[in-house]
Amino acid sequence: MKGGMKPVEHRRDARDPKPGPDPDDEITVLENQPPYAEIAVTSNFSFLRGASKPDELMLTAYTYAYEAIGIADRNTLAGVVRAWAAFKDPRLKEKKPKLMIGTRLVFADGTPDILAYPTDRVAYGRLCQLLSHGKLRVPKGAKRATKGECTLFFDDLAEKYAPKDEYPRHEGLLFVVMPSREENPDAVKSALKQLRALAPGRVWLAGSTLYHGDDKRRLRRLNRLARECRVPLLAVNDVLYHDADRRELQDVVTCIREHVTIDKAGKLLEANAERHLKTPREMIRLFREFPDAIAQTVMFARLITFSLDQIRYNYPHEPVPPGKTADGHLNDLTWEGAAQRYPGGVPDKVRATLEKELSVIAKQRYAHYFLTVRDLVHFARSKNILCQGRGSAANSAVCYCLGVTAVDPMQIDLLFERFISIERNEPPDIDVDFEHERREEVIQHVYQRYGYRRAALTATVIHYRPRSAIREIGKVFGLSEDLTASMANSVWGSWGSEMKENQVRQGHLDPHNLAIARSVHFANMLMGFPRHLSQHVGGFVLTDDNLDTIVPIGPAAMDERYFIEWDKDDLDEAGLLKVDVLALGMLTCIRKAFDLIALHGGKRYDLATVPREDPAVYGMLCKADAIGVFQVESRAQMSMLPRLKPRKFYDIVVEVAIVRPGPIQGGMVHPYLRRRNKKEPVEYPAPHPDHGHKDELRDVLKETMGVPLFQEQAMRLAIVAAKFTPDEANGLRRAMATFRNLGTIDRFRDKFIGGMTRRGYKQDFAERCFKQIEGFGSYGFPESHAASFAHLVYISSWIKLYHPAAFGCALLNSQPMGFYAPAEIVRDAREHDVETLPPDMSYSDWDNTLERNTAGALALRLGFRQVDGFKEDDASVIENSRGYGYPNFAEFVRRTELSKKALMVLADADAFRSLGMDRREAIWAVRRLPDQHTLPIFEAQRLKELPPEQTASLPVMPLKEHVLADYQTLRLSLKGYPMQFLREAFDAERVLTNKQVLESKDGTPVRCAGVVLVRQMPGDAGVVFVTLSDETGITNVVVWPRILERYRSEIMRSRLMLVEGKVQKAEDAEGGVVHLIADRIWDRSDELEQLAADPVRPFQGRREDIAYQRPDSRSPRHPRNVRVLPKSRDFH
Amino acid sequence: MRRKTGIGAAPDKTPVVLSLKDSNARIVYALDTNAARAGLKTGMALASARAVVNAVHVVEADLPADRAMLDVIADWCDRYSPFVALDPPHGLLIDITGVDHLFGGEQAMLSAIRRAFRDQGFLCYGAIAGTEAAARALARFANGTIAAAGDDAATTAPLPTAALDLGEKDTHALVRAGLKTIGMVAERTRNELMARFGKEMVFKLERALGLREKPISPRRILPAYAAERRFAEPVVSEDFIADAILGLATSLTEVMEERGQGARLLEASFFRTDGAVRRVEVETARALRDPAVIAKLFRTRLDALADQLDPGFGFDLVRLAAVQAERLVPETVGLDAKPDDEKEIACLIDRLAARFGSHRMLLFQPQDTHIPEAAGVAVPAQHADDTDLDWQVRADSEPPRRPVRMFAHPELIDVFGASAPDGAPPFFTWRSVRHRVVRAEGPERIAMEWWQTYDHKPERDYFRVEDESGQRFWLFREGLYMHGAPERRWFMHGLFA
Repeated sequence: MKGGMKPVEHRRDARDPKPGPDPDDEITVLENQPPYAEIAVTSNFSFLRGASKPDELMLTAYTYAYEAIGIADRNTLAGVVRAWAAFKDPRLKEKKPKLMIGTRLVFADGTPDILAYPTDRVAYGRLCQLLSHGKLRVPKGAKRATKGECTLFFDDLAEKYAPKDEYPRHEGLLFVVMPSREENPDAVKSALKQLRALAPGRVWLAGSTLYHGDDKRRLRRLNRLARECRVPLLAVNDVLYHDADRRELQDVVTCIREHVTIDKAGKLLEANAERHLKTPREMIRLFREFPDAIAQTVMFARLITFSLDQIRYNYPHEPVPPGKTADGHLNDLTWEGAAQRYPGGVPDKVRATLEKELSVIAKQRYAHYFLTVRDLVHFARSKNILCQGRGSAANSAVCYCLGVTAVDPMQIDLLFERFISIERNEPPDIDVDFEHERREEVIQHVYQRYGYRRAALTATVIHYRPRSAIREIGKVFGLSEDLTASMANSVWGSWGSEMKENQVRQGHLDPHNLAIARSVHFANMLMGFPRHLSQHVGGFVLTDDNLDTIVPIGPAAMDERYFIEWDKDDLDEAGLLKVDVLALGMLTCIRKAFDLIALHGGKRYDLATVPREDPAVYGMLCKADAIGVFQVESRAQMSMLPRLKPRKFYDIVVEVAIVRPGPIQGGMVHPYLRRRNKKEPVEYPAPHPDHGHKDELRDVLKETMGVPLFQEQAMRLAIVAAKFTPDEANGLRRAMATFRNLGTIDRFRDKFIGGMTRRGYKQDFAERCFKQIEGFGSYGFPESHAASFAHLVYISSWIKLYHPAAFGCALLNSQPMGFYAPAEIVRDAREHDVETLPPDMSYSDWDNTLERNTAGALALRLGFRQVDGFKEDDASVIENSRGYGYPNFAEFVRRTELSKKALMVLADADAFRSLGMDRREAIWAVRRLPDQHTLPIFEAQRLKELPPEQTASLPVMPLKEHVLADYQTLRLSLKGYPMQFLREAFDAERVLTNKQVLESKDGTPVRCAGVVLVRQMPGDAGVVFVTLSDETGITNVVVWPRILERYRSEIMRSRLMLVEGKVQKAEDAEGGVVHLIADRIWDRSDELEQLAADPVRPFQGRREDIAYQRPDSRSPRHPRNVRVLPKSRDFH
Repeated sequence: MRRKTGIGAAPDKTPVVLSLKDSNARIVYALDTNAARAGLKTGMALASARAVVNAVHVVEADLPADRAMLDVIADWCDRYSPFVALDPPHGLLIDITGVDHLFGGEQAMLSAIRRAFRDQGFLCYGAIAGTEAAARALARFANGTIAAAGDDAATTAPLPTAALDLGEKDTHALVRAGLKTIGMVAERTRNELMARFGKEMVFKLERALGLREKPISPRRILPAYAAERRFAEPVVSEDFIADAILGLATSLTEVMEERGQGARLLEASFFRTDGAVRRVEVETARALRDPAVIAKLFRTRLDALADQLDPGFGFDLVRLAAVQAERLVPETVGLDAKPDDEKEIACLIDRLAARFGSHRMLLFQPQDTHIPEAAGVAVPAQHADDTDLDWQVRADSEPPRRPVRMFAHPELIDVFGASAPDGAPPFFTWRSVRHRVVRAEGPERIAMEWWQTYDHKPERDYFRVEDESGQRFWLFREGLYMHGAPERRWFMHGLFA
């Protein structure tokens, strides 16, 4: 094996890991196994301890025909829903083991670990409360509880949760004491005795045989101890992984946990691979001297009646006024709203839809949910916070009437069909976007209204991703950080579930090096393992009862913020509803733009009152004039716009949805475009006449010209064309939602494609449809979201067209958001004839503002927020002390009392021009001020005393230096553009300007160079879009996968990029987007640094055999002095 | 000055860089000619360096070693002038006032120094000027320049402002103000500069202009006590040297006795006629004032030197210095004093190691591993780590888990009738003798350290067994019954008592 090894085969094949049962295989069950239940199982939700996923453990338990299996992770219930869901796998046909939900209680007071299993629903609630209590415990000397910690003491078990409670926390729980090998026998004995006194008949002592040499002696000793304490001995294998093969991974995660390299880990690691699930027959053999310990496992399991099915959800009652039913209240509100929405009378169509929807809501008992959402939206309205709902249920007529959305159901026919469907039993899904700067107010409202006991955020399980996995694992194998960083950096973003050999090579590393090969191997195994729990961005779970009897709650990193242990998939599995309170930058921008328009003499608009269906707005979009516009400003979207030519609202809905992994991977984009441009007839795929009506898909696909584009259509295809049962469809939907985490979607492939082809659909069409489903898996995009987004696309376009100054100003004031840096937003504004003025102490506020210029037009005045390192407080001092203006520098310093540091920042930003001082003079003047601020009054006196200086004037600052200094302080310059100073050198290399590239003919080979503005890789198609900019405009570079592979490091790292390639002009694009298809790429970032470097060449004496190097390389360079341009923005 | 050699085997053309961890990123700290030619820069992130150059040989920078090297070089420069000062991290300042004529004038001296460095594989920038600051600026920004006497200001004027070494902030401010060379800064009035940059900056500027001086402080500290002896004729013989040390020690201790002090660190310097200096130190565990003992210590030390004291054409000066001294008063030893075992053993180890070489004094140290034969390892006693590890101690009630005698190489034995999958053998034959097992405990299953090897090494199941005669053995079976291991062999790995 030595020498010619392949990177991942670092050991013999027979022990290669099995990643769990193959999804397509039948699962076989061992026959004739005696009854046994494994009580002590640790999954990978005991972070960096367990080495198998819950479903791997569950399926193995099923395969071994266990009577029952108990999952007990360390002080958490985070993994239990996944374990529970694993048994829903339709392939499991024989008798499934009983799943016992428990926790391994780990104490902070020296008590041995104790497994706790609730027997019933009430006891489960107490266990949740016990864990919440541990999580919320404030450590001594600290102000608040620590995120991710759970500190328990033995005494917590005996306490009551609340004084009015009838029983203490331990009531209804079964306990298994887990003596560790190192444990002091007295500690075990005392724990057993105390516990037995608390919970007689509900305590066991666990014994295990893990091949430590003295197993039998130890078991006998434990048996004596058990008898002495009058508790039964219970056989366990204290499982850490489902299969012995996982020992190596378990060793590796142990090293990560203990922060040691593997060769230093020593006895921190297990001596052998015995802590896997064993067959009942094997367990019985190992415990042959103690058959009763085996029998106890089965008896233990029989005592447990709790199952997660018993978690019943109850909605908050607050939104319903006393004396009314939820349904009645919802009905009233809906019809009230309808009357306002349709002042001329509710159209019949809408009336019918409303009635239908309301009856479904009543039947499914979702009224509370809609009322809760309406309550949030209502609150936001009352505070003048813009918001908009999206999601399947959001685009219902009910939501329109309740004011949750502004998308008129009259505008879109298809959406009526998208409403919650009873047969699929999908929970309604409403996400509400709020202005990102004001979402916090909404969240505080939620807490005020429901209280911390009844409202908490959903968790997000942070999984290991390629970067994090390779970093951590590299350390274990002793790779230096720069090696692992190099490997991690060649992985684009965080997507991808596998580290490939050529990515290793891209990091200039040898994939055959053993340590590197092992790191990659284990990193691939670790990917998808949970790393820690974090809070979801805004998913709230609200309950009527105490939420902490349903799932443990812990503190989040933010003060006064709490989150539960389950993520949205878990909630979905358990059937709990959540309301997403999300932040959307564009809403902030739109609100600010509306405010600016109103402030400067325009009308007061809101989301619903902007004039609809204005042809000029669509005209602008067709020209791909979309910088700053919501959603469609990305490169891929901008190149789609002139091809799709949106002319009405639904076209934008399509536009938003079509440039997504689903339609792209399914190859649906081009057929749609051809049909739309009338180059291909619209026809509907049909089954063989024997199997169904030829128009069965017409209803599903008619709005999208026979081409499936939306996630909902894919689902409908599964039901209508592939004849999925509701159960199967539901499974497919779940698989799509969790594709990234679990990879279960493959299971449906044959069923889907087979189902369609059997009924006479073309193989090719079926396969493309399924590919599309896979694409939705990595980035689902339903029509209901697209419709809500499309509305914001339209509104932002409308503002951009009619109020470009307000639009640019609002965009800048809402940063960071969107794709483009302030420099591009400013450039775009100037290209739309908006005069842009520099930040100045006489005119600027913190925010960017609009002012009338001499011509009477609105001009954009940059605010101090654009100045790097300037503080908002200082800006408001300048605003407030301005009065009728600052007559001179000394007066400005005296009135504002700004620190010298702040003044330096202002001077360096060239903000004193209105006083007749340019950057250089201002810096010189500020420098002269005394260093320490003493009492302001003395300060002022001393200032006056500064004598006039008789001195020669400073050298005049050349334009190039001003521009560079602007970039260093403002990240943009109104005076020029860095590329213009390099132009001469690039001209010599026959490098064209971006404008020249734009004017080149289709197919011309050209070279062009520019600063990298944005890098984007939509989906995982392997195509990268790079936007380059120079003093003449931008060039859109397309890098195909082949070129990407060759120039990956140039593409990933260049700040100034030189590209050689061919111009491509889309035939059907009128005045539209021009692409440069890259052939070769050079990283010329050095040239930028040269520009920034001191223009005076160091005086050279005799030249040595080496170029001059900075003598002291260690002195830290202030980033401000080094950075010429802000970094590009990268999206994936 | 940069270390260029001795950084491991990199192919000829491969760029070599030294890297350093700077806050959280690894940066390029230093680079060689190839790396510079390939466009790498000091201070850039190592990851970007790797992106620029395909194959780059990265060596961890070792700052303490660099510092030590600078010290050695400074020592070596003693030959040019006694006033040598360190200018870390990689500079030296030599005051050559009044010595340059010995080397044929400034130009010749500078060339000689640079040649000498180049010959030894160092890259050397150098300059001569009237003040330390001017020389420093010139060496870094105008290598090889010699400022004529009184001409410092004119010589440094064209250098970039950074040469003033004012720190990043002030340099930046000056450059922003358009003052890009020392000359341009010098043109401003001192008041103007002082108001903006403070007094210290003006001093620095004036030093660089040769207008103000700051004496350099020589780097070698003055010893507490020193005695030296010059020889009219250079001495070569060891006996002569030993006598000289004894004599010097006697004069040294006399002075120290008067002051009630004893030496903790002694240094003998041997100045060769050709200018080389060899220094030998002796450290003592407690303050010492006995000339005979001092002389003996030096003799032992000189005998044991790996590289013998090479007198060349002879020493013309020997100096003995008590570099560190501390109070030494006679102490009374109590009648009931007990020898300190630890100390005695340490002393013994030191003495034996001094005589036989430290590699021959071994000590067993526990290792943190499950693999039995690797659990203890013999290391040179003087280099034994301070480890927290203890030998595994068994509980009183427990039988020993490891045999008293463990074989370095397990011996293959024949075993009959062990039951699968984990039974102990009823019989076994070891060294042609057949034993019947009457008692057995086990197995203790130990899996091999998979990360150590390319391919999978079989697990071992260890048994402690007792035969009819009461002898106890430690056996193991290699390979489990599951996993389809091809053969399972049995070994004897040790004996209990």
